[in-house]
Amino acid sequence: MVKGLSKSFKKSLWVFHCNSGSCNGCDIEIIAALCPRYDLERFGIKLVGTPRHADALLVTGPVTRQQAERVKRVYEQMPDPKVVIAIGNCGNTGDVFYESYNLVGPLQEVLPVDIHVIGCPPRPENIIHAVAKAWTKLETLEGK
Amino acid sequence: MPEKKTKKKPVKKTEETPNKQLSPEEIVTYFKDKFNTKIKSVEIKKRATGSKKKEFVNIWMKIDKSIFKNFIEHLCNLTYPHLAVCSGNDLGNQIELVYSFSIYYGKHLQEISLNVGVEVPKSKPEIETICDWIPGALITEREKQEMLGIKIIGIPDNRRLFLPDDFPKNVYPWRKDEQTKKEIEKLYKNLNEGVKKK
Amino acid sequence: MSRITKTTYQLPIGPIHPALKEPVMFKFEIDGEKIVDVDVELGHVHRAIEWTGMRRNPIQIIYLAERICGICSFVHPMAYCRAVENACNIQVPERADYLRVVHGEIERIASHLLWAGVAAHEIGFDTVLFLTWEMREKVLDLIEYLTGNRVTKAILMIGGVRRDIKPENIPKIKETLEYFKKNYKKLSHVFLDDKTFKMRSQGCGILTYEDALRLCAVGPTTRASGVKKDVRADQPYAAYSDLDVDYMTPDKLTGEINGDVYDRIIVRLLEVKQSIDLIERAIDQMPTGDIVSEPKIPKLLNYIKKTAGEGIGRDEAPRGEVIHYIKFDGVNEQPFTWKVRASTYANILPWIPMLKGQQIADISIVAASTDPCMSCTNRVTIIDKNKKYMLDKEQLHKLSIEKTRRLMR
Repeated sequence: MVKGLSKSFKKSLWVFHCNSGSCNGCDIEIIAALCPRYDLERFGIKLVGTPRHADALLVTGPVTRQQAERVKRVYEQMPDPKVVIAIGNCGNTGDVFYESYNLVGPLQEVLPVDIHVIGCPPRPENIIHAVAKAWTKLETLEGK
Repeated sequence: MPEKKTKKKPVKKTEETPNKQLSPEEIVTYFKDKFNTKIKSVEIKKRATGSKKKEFVNIWMKIDKSIFKNFIEHLCNLTYPHLAVCSGNDLGNQIELVYSFSIYYGKHLQEISLNVGVEVPKSKPEIETICDWIPGALITEREKQEMLGIKIIGIPDNRRLFLPDDFPKNVYPWRKDEQTKKEIEKLYKNLNEGVKKK
Repeated sequence: MSRITKTTYQLPIGPIHPALKEPVMFKFEIDGEKIVDVDVELGHVHRAIEWTGMRRNPIQIIYLAERICGICSFVHPMAYCRAVENACNIQVPERADYLRVVHGEIERIASHLLWAGVAAHEIGFDTVLFLTWEMREKVLDLIEYLTGNRVTKAILMIGGVRRDIKPENIPKIKETLEYFKKNYKKLSHVFLDDKTFKMRSQGCGILTYEDALRLCAVGPTTRASGVKKDVRADQPYAAYSDLDVDYMTPDKLTGEINGDVYDRIIVRLLEVKQSIDLIERAIDQMPTGDIVSEPKIPKLLNYIKKTAGEGIGRDEAPRGEVIHYIKFDGVNEQPFTWKVRASTYANILPWIPMLKGQQIADISIVAASTDPCMSCTNRVTIIDKNKKYMLDKEQLHKLSIEKTRRLMR
């Protein structure tokens, strides 16, 4: 458990998932994290349908040229305070797609990323750990 | 979708086809009877798999561009094919398009793969569409237009398929000549460099 | 006055989707609640894979091919390896053929269960989503036990497979299969006998036999319309020719073929049963021997470098036929050309006749029934003369659920 989690158990974290051109492997592990085996929902973490309700943004995939604008727009629509979590190797270093003419760089060149989760795809346990860390970071941001 | 009224050619159901199933050699003779020398080369490859060593057959044909449309019509009259994909090779002065069909599906272990290669000169890269016989060819033809710069005459839908709209217009990523390489270098990005900087 | 009532609206449904899968853009023209015309725009996931592949050596391309799609991450390397083996005349040992069948069928079960959960979620039954994905976790446990990872397994090599199934692994496989046989009845009861499922899916999204043939549709989409196309039963490859695979069409269960969403559900459930049966028979009949034709990788790469040739490899993914084309020129190690055609690209054109005449609330279930390996919808912008109002995915999803509640009354 991440330190400080029990103290900041005030409200639940709502998460929006955005696919910027990934192969769906990471997206499936995100949905698997919500299912009864790993069960993110017991912490109150919910997947919402619009960025305007969300606290955290989960982005998967190497950012393709068509999606770069859209990901930025989604980020701007989220209300403060917010965290961005880059899931999977593609958004962090490019993985096998490290050279291409249609990709716009690792995610941190497009958005300010707070938490990096690596793995191809990362296990659901890693994703839960990342969201829990995001929680504590949000609480500190809110305190400011 | 912009609609162009094209006359739909009739489709024969596979069960209704009166001809019996032809063997690979008979199929080759069927085409050679009609087109003679315009068929440049034919190769029949058979490979066996599994414990019982049953074979599957691939027929590779290279034909001349002038008989292409008639060839497709002749094939549809034999039995309605399934178009899998159209691949493209950049051979320097020519671009070769390989259409992969499969015929006689529906009967256990009897399917034959037929691959037809057509060469078009790079100075005038044009070929007729086969969408009026096989409407399912639309997506693969659009992809050839944008990736190799082939102009497909009579295609019902002329737009780009995969590349973004702001991609430069006369750059074709699958071509191998020097000019294309230079243009792609301008757009190329190595994601690992962005990470090493920070 | 009559001109105003006959105006149709243009509905663009943009690429970002709050749930699974890849982005695609739809543009619908609607008249009231009915869809008049459909347009699809692709390309949002274009990562230039084929261009990248022409700069890598053949072994690296296996790992590139695996990441084309995470759900069908076995079939792309399989079709690629078959293409290379056909181009360079590499013979695969028999035991490797059987092992490939076992892994391919296990993945098929996992993929169909994933689809079943997504389809139930689109109709509005979230409980069924959790039920099927819980069953799917058992399959992923088995995959992890045999290969080391849940998704992207890296089990294939040109000329065979990388890991063997030893006799001590077999009890775990049999235990998982027993679990599935017991729960298969529950699964088919939920999907096929439930009145609401039937009402929502029967008569909806029909694809006729003629259209399926003409548009070269593949996979369960085309088998549900009556066309018998299945690469495992049509052409001998891997060990399927020894195991006698049959075409699964809906008339095996109900006796008639309609080509609607309900038929596609039937085809997929029948295929799950077929896969369980195939895995059992493959394990019982597996011969002994090598698992790869050339274990030393530099020797293999050298051989491929010197051979010139072209080849195609076809495979039956859970979604349909996958084909790879490769050409080597005998001088370089990198392939001269590599072409990939995933199964969903052949299933996009059938969306157009399926969606015309349907209601907006049915878009999600019809699109989900073809099991696209990419999906759509985020913000739906309805442009209405002066006003512009937004419907997001939640509201579109709500429309679908409300229709279900209305039917249930």
